[in-house]
Amino acid sequence: MSNSHLFLKPGFIKVPLQNGVGRYVCQLQRVVLKFCKNHGSSRGMRDFIESDLVNFAMDNPAVVVYLKPRRHRSAVIKAEYLNGDQQWLGCKNFTKEEILKWLNLLVTQSQYHTGTRIRKLWHTDNPSIQGPWTPFTFRDPKLNLASFPNEELAKPQDSNETNHEALIELFKKQKLDDLEQRRAE
Amino acid sequence: MGTLLRQIIVNCNNLSRLSIQSNLLKNVNSALLPLAVNKRYSNAPTPYEVVDRKSEEKSNQEVINKVNQLVKDEKTLKLFAVVHVAGKQFKITDGDVIVIEGYWPPTVGDKILLEKVLLAGGSDFTFIGRPVVQKGLVRVEATVIEKTVSHTKTHFRKKRRKQYMRINFYRIPHTYLRINRICINGEVNNPPEVRGLETAIF
Repeated sequence: MSNSHLFLKPGFIKVPLQNGVGRYVCQLQRVVLKFCKNHGSSRGMRDFIESDLVNFAMDNPAVVVYLKPRRHRSAVIKAEYLNGDQQWLGCKNFTKEEILKWLNLLVTQSQYHTGTRIRKLWHTDNPSIQGPWTPFTFRDPKLNLASFPNEELAKPQDSNETNHEALIELFKKQKLDDLEQRRAE
Repeated sequence: MGTLLRQIIVNCNNLSRLSIQSNLLKNVNSALLPLAVNKRYSNAPTPYEVVDRKSEEKSNQEVINKVNQLVKDEKTLKLFAVVHVAGKQFKITDGDVIVIEGYWPPTVGDKILLEKVLLAGGSDFTFIGRPVVQKGLVRVEATVIEKTVSHTKTHFRKKRRKQYMRINFYRIPHTYLRINRICINGEVNNPPEVRGLETAIF
C-alpha cells in the first residue's frame, strides 16, 4: 500500500494571475508526443496521430504540438505550461481514446497539479463585505455607557433557580403541607 | 432598529414575514435586555401581536426605497452572494475563485450565469431568498478557467483476521470558476410582469 497520499503537501488554490477576469488564456504552451514507429506499446499513440491529431491541433490553436519518434521506447506525452511547469506522462499501451482524454486534461489544466492537496475550495481577496462578526455586533449600545462594577451585568445570565434551590423549595412546601395535615387532624 | 443599520429585506411580493421579523426584534430588545441578550436561541413560541397593516406597509416601503436608492446611487457597490453550485454553497464576491468538485460539463473559457442565488447583499442591506432570490434580480457572472483532477485519493478497506484487503485509487474532477461580476438588475420588490424567460432559448 502506498503512503504517498498521507504526506501530500497541503496548499491553497493557485490560479494564474487574473486569468478569466478579462478573457480566458489557455495555459498549456506546447506538448511533445514521443513514440516508437515499430513497437506495440506505442500503437495507440500512432493511431491517435494518424486519426485525431490534426483535429486536436485545429481545436487548440494556442498549443504547439511536436512529434518525436524514437526507436524502441514507450510512448510519452510531455507538456509545458505558461508558468514553466513541465509534466511528463507515460502512455505505454494507451488506446487513442485514452490519449485524447489525457491531452484534453493537459489543455484545460493551468499547471502541473499532482502532489498538492487543496485545503479550501474557495479563494477571495475580500473575505467579508458586511464586516466580520465580533462579540459586540448586534449588542445593545447601552452597554457602552454601563459603569462598572455593575450588579445587573455581574449576575449570571440564566437567573433560573438551580436544582438545589428547587429542592429546598419543595422541602419547605412539604413541611407546610405536613403541618396543615396535622392541624386538620 | 429604525436606522439603516442592517436591514433585512425579504424578497417577496407579500411582506408578511418581514413584519414578523421586525416585531421579533422589537420584543427581544424590550423584554429581554440586558439579561438575556446572549441567549442564542429560544424555544418560546412567537408571541401574537396585532399589527397595524398600514404602518407596517409604510415602514416596509421605506426600507425598500432606501435599498433601491443605495443600489441606484453606488455604481461601485461591493456585493456578495451565496450561490448553490453542483450541490455546494459558496459565498462569493467579484474576483473570487471557487472550485467545483465532481463531474460538471462546462469547459474552460465558458462564461456562465449562476442563477441559484440563495442570498445576496451589500454592506448595508441583504436579500434573503426563500429559498432563492427572485430570478433575474441578482446577476452573477462567472468564467470557467480550469478543469483538472484532484490529488490521488486512496480508498483502502481491510477486515481483520479475514484475509480481506482491497485498495483503490481515484481522482475526482475539479472545475475552477472565476466570479467576474455580481450586480443587481432592476428594482427590489418590483418584479417584471413576465418572469422566468430571461435565459430561455426558443
